Amino acid sequence: MVTTLESAEVALLDRPNGSLGELPDFTTESYKDAYSRINAIVIEGEKEAHDNYMSIGTLIPEEAEELKKLGRMELKHMKGFTACGKNLGVKADMPFAKKFFAPLHDNFQKALQEGNLTTCLLIQAILIEAFAISAYHVYIRVADPFAKKITEGVVKDEYLHLNYGQEWLKANLGNCKEELMQANKINLPLIRSMLDQVAEDASVLHMDREELMEEFMIAYQDSLTEMGLDNREIARMALAAVV
Amino acid sequence: MFGLIGHSTSFKDARLKAMELGYDHIAEGDLDVWCSAPPQLVEHVKVTNPSGKSIEGAYIDSCFVPEMLGRFKTARRKVLNAMELAQKKGINITALGGFTSIIFENFNLLQHQHIRNTTLQWERFTTGNTHTAWVICRQLEINAPSVGIDLKKARVAVVGATGDIGSAICRWLSIRTGVSELLLVARQEKPLLELQAELGGGRITSLEEALPEADAVVWVASMPRTLEIDSTKLRNPCLMIDGGYPKNLDGKVSGEGVHVLKGGIVEFFNDIGWSMMELAEMEKPQRQMFACFAEAMLLEFENCHTNFSWGRNNITLEKMDFIGDASVKNGFSTLNLKNFFQAAAA
Repeated sequence: MVTTLESAEVALLDRPNGSLGELPDFTTESYKDAYSRINAIVIEGEKEAHDNYMSIGTLIPEEAEELKKLGRMELKHMKGFTACGKNLGVKADMPFAKKFFAPLHDNFQKALQEGNLTTCLLIQAILIEAFAISAYHVYIRVADPFAKKITEGVVKDEYLHLNYGQEWLKANLGNCKEELMQANKINLPLIRSMLDQVAEDASVLHMDREELMEEFMIAYQDSLTEMGLDNREIARMALAAVV
Repeated sequence: MFGLIGHSTSFKDARLKAMELGYDHIAEGDLDVWCSAPPQLVEHVKVTNPSGKSIEGAYIDSCFVPEMLGRFKTARRKVLNAMELAQKKGINITALGGFTSIIFENFNLLQHQHIRNTTLQWERFTTGNTHTAWVICRQLEINAPSVGIDLKKARVAVVGATGDIGSAICRWLSIRTGVSELLLVARQEKPLLELQAELGGGRITSLEEALPEADAVVWVASMPRTLEIDSTKLRNPCLMIDGGYPKNLDGKVSGEGVHVLKGGIVEFFNDIGWSMMELAEMEKPQRQMFACFAEAMLLEFENCHTNFSWGRNNITLEKMDFIGDASVKNGFSTLNLKNFFQAAAA
């Protein structure tokens, strides 16, 4: 009799449960086709992460052992995700993934050669890790049971990696803020464009672009907050993802 | 520490506020950007009660705006993400304001206790409904006599009678206030019959029939924008308490002898140095706030760190007494009709 708001809004508020979070059909050709690219991105991402941590170790030799440990974890993840593809009978499209990571890869290599540790850490330990964490969180909600278990294990590790970069940047924030802001301005838009590139395939896997972006922004914002940046600085940095 | 989860009343207001606070990245964004925006802890605040006890709190904007009600998944995420942030910040007790608790309840978010690597601890949250219900009852009791309504002889209609707040109000009015007749208005018949049985009285009726009969109307379900009320058919005097969300009743009724009061609003005895209540379009944003928000403060003042208002139809008279006593003791008073405020306060 008496309702709240517009009827469309009421209908929505009255919507019964259970219509959400339905799992996709993992056996369809369209699912497997999209999975071949998403799976490849994840495998390539973990491989890049391994290589990047090893490289960062050359810039801070006293941390090399610790970074090796992180790198080895990434290789373990890579194997796990490779198994996820195999389990579904999907061949990962690795050439696509290489191309996908190329701009970020090139920027990392350039920073490495110039000895810009802050930029290297921002790219790998903040942006890529936050991207991975966010995508894994969204994926866990719609993954097949095998992949779900693997991904849940991986997410726990990735937080350690995010934490590693975060702690170093936090300790050195006084000296590295300017470089951090500059590197962010160049590299955050790449993350956004990477997200746009996979949005269509991700949606076949029932992963919403909007949700992926939100998860990324949460992980990214958390990380910057932990590093000691204030709300306005974070807002200024996050602007690079929007415009 | 107490927490408040709130949101802007419209997308336009939200962008203006974000600009003011320096959140340019979302201020400049379109609705899609807002749908992807994380919740923000925008303000820390310190509140001191009349006896000098101070508590600290935080205001979290969920980045939800009512325009997102059409996006089911988005609305759900906004609420859960804001709750996760409150918990991660170590806030003891957080009130869910505005649409937050409505979304939580209607989307049955209890089944979503795990958010990323956080397990939400429900005892850290309150809907604030107990305080809202108590405040609305007191608003009726204080303001009815001041417009010439004797509640002992009055018919009082409760629109939205079967909801969490509505049913608590019905309990209070029938047992504590002792109104002449209670008119029960709601959409579904079954809960209405159950409520009537529980109360041992009250007349179930339609809105159209209730309005011309009622000396006072308590709205705890907001009106559809298309609803029209013929003010000439209302009784004179008639007191209407707008306790729904959003509050839009004053634009619908006017006329001689019709008094509209915003329901579920309290005023603190002192200015609070926050800026976020402007979002809620309070007349005195430094002092006035939703009673549900105040409940989080009261629970913090009283060291009562529990989900005091939770679930549906759990509001007892004893709980209303407890929160009502705490409300008065800690410096809150109910919002009253303007002309009668002085008299009522006296």
